[in-house]
Amino acid sequence: MAQNLLNALTLGSLYLLFALGMSLAWGTIGILNFAHGSIFMFAAFTGHLLVGQVALPLPLVLLIGTAVGAALSVLAQVLAFEPIQRRARDHRRAELQILVGGIGIATIPLAIAQHATKSVPFGFTGSTFQVEVYRLGPVQLTNVQLVILGAAAVLTGVLAWWLRSARTGLALRSIGVDAEVATMMGVNRRGLAVATMAVAGALAGIAGVLLTYYLGSIAAESGDGFLIKAFAAIVLGGIGSIGGAVAGAMILALAETVVLTQTSGMWVDAVSFGLIFAVLVLRPRGLFGRKEVRRT
Amino acid sequence: MIAWYEANVVLIQSMFISLLLALSIQVPFRAGVFSLAGIGSYGIGAYTAAIVTLQLGWPPFAAIGAGMLLAAVIAYLLALVLARLSGLYLGMATIAYSLILSVAVINGGELTGGAQGLFGAVSDLQTGHVVAVAVAAVVLLALSERGRPGRWIDAVREDPELAVSVGVPVTAIRQLSFVVGGLLGACAGAMNTLLRTTVTPEEVGFHLVVLALTMIIVGGSRSWAGALIGAVVFTWLPTVLAFVGEWQTLVYGVVVAVAAIFVPTGILGLAQDFVRRLRRPALPGGRP
Repeated sequence: MAQNLLNALTLGSLYLLFALGMSLAWGTIGILNFAHGSIFMFAAFTGHLLVGQVALPLPLVLLIGTAVGAALSVLAQVLAFEPIQRRARDHRRAELQILVGGIGIATIPLAIAQHATKSVPFGFTGSTFQVEVYRLGPVQLTNVQLVILGAAAVLTGVLAWWLRSARTGLALRSIGVDAEVATMMGVNRRGLAVATMAVAGALAGIAGVLLTYYLGSIAAESGDGFLIKAFAAIVLGGIGSIGGAVAGAMILALAETVVLTQTSGMWVDAVSFGLIFAVLVLRPRGLFGRKEVRRT
Repeated sequence: MIAWYEANVVLIQSMFISLLLALSIQVPFRAGVFSLAGIGSYGIGAYTAAIVTLQLGWPPFAAIGAGMLLAAVIAYLLALVLARLSGLYLGMATIAYSLILSVAVINGGELTGGAQGLFGAVSDLQTGHVVAVAVAAVVLLALSERGRPGRWIDAVREDPELAVSVGVPVTAIRQLSFVVGGLLGACAGAMNTLLRTTVTPEEVGFHLVVLALTMIIVGGSRSWAGALIGAVVFTWLPTVLAFVGEWQTLVYGVVVAVAAIFVPTGILGLAQDFVRRLRRPALPGGRP
């Protein structure tokens, strides 16, 4: 029981690291990046390639994953999402184009990784990092789990503080409330958008590398599943809300663990889809989201 | 010509089925409803047709009709439940609905054949029947783009508040777009099952959502012609791209991304712009 709870907490932390960036970008600059899962996978894949050449320690692999994730995310923003937002006639059109553009972009890293790995799962076998298991009474805890829990807690805290208190964080939130007024108040919308996407990509990269260390190996297609799950977590918690992302990720991980351990069959995947559907029907703004006004 | 037809009959069939699938998404889009429930309806149609053919031995058109009826009823209920949502939220709720169905059929036991799906739903459905149904659907939809219904639908998409104020039945049109999308999607799914005689859970997964969406975006979402262009392009693209071999998915992704970024109105929009530019100098007085 305690072991299941701990595993659910670890899984929730990984969902959280992945979902935070997506939620931030969607809630502030209005970009729902469907290439997020692909970026997450490709950061881990780059780590895998480098570890195959040189035996690197965990912090260095993490750093590489962070950099690759941030770079890819910024690239997608500059080459695709920004031109779309600049040209689109209205908000709804832009949303749709960003969605489909993201789906197209996601295919590119996926195809490269599939080609290079022949769709065989890959891991960090060459890394100098060794998994150690600690026993605390009835529960087993690995050092990878400790890193994951620590990274999720620290990064979420820093991000929440930045959005609440830092000047740039406030400016970013103001874009989410009203982009035009924010620009008139002197907010550098373009620069902040690139910075937000860099942060989102970096978080995805960290999540990708940590997931690979945690599971031992991941497949090129692992990003797609995470995308839907992160989406469920974000919708459940409320878009753009850090507290919401934490609550959403943990509730999802707990619910999945319960379904996996208590039922037979393959209903686990239905948990995230069912959550998305139920939340959108019953409470579309999520647990902690802002209420939207609609007339028809 | 006949040799070409016989060599490509499977692709020709799937082109018309893709057209119906693309239309099931395009119809709600035209009314400003970002619903991807057509994919779920495709699954409902596919499985209903297989089940009634296998277990009750119904003739093909009764099987297709049963699937369409069931999908239409469920689509109407969905329209009532999801009436509050719009934009991306509606899109995501309908994607979630479609994916729940795909998990449900994996866990459906004997009735849906689990992860293996259903086999041996043999029928005498011909390619000609599929073409006839697709043409009939296109003609009906083309008619709905003209005159008062066409203007109503445009008004519901462009400015729902204004449309309500001048007496356009906005809610009814939105609900109708769900039902029509459900009918078209179920028709596509049922005919696909009966032509291939099998249906598996993988067929109705997320990739089908992606395919339908990309057909509409690359082709153009404003008219049935856009869905037709999208269906033709994405049916034949793999054949054209055969020379790039393993990199096919990469090229496919680039095509989709470029279309979404640079050609927001789709190939149809590009063609319409081109025609307009050609006609302009011929106007009396030649004003720009």
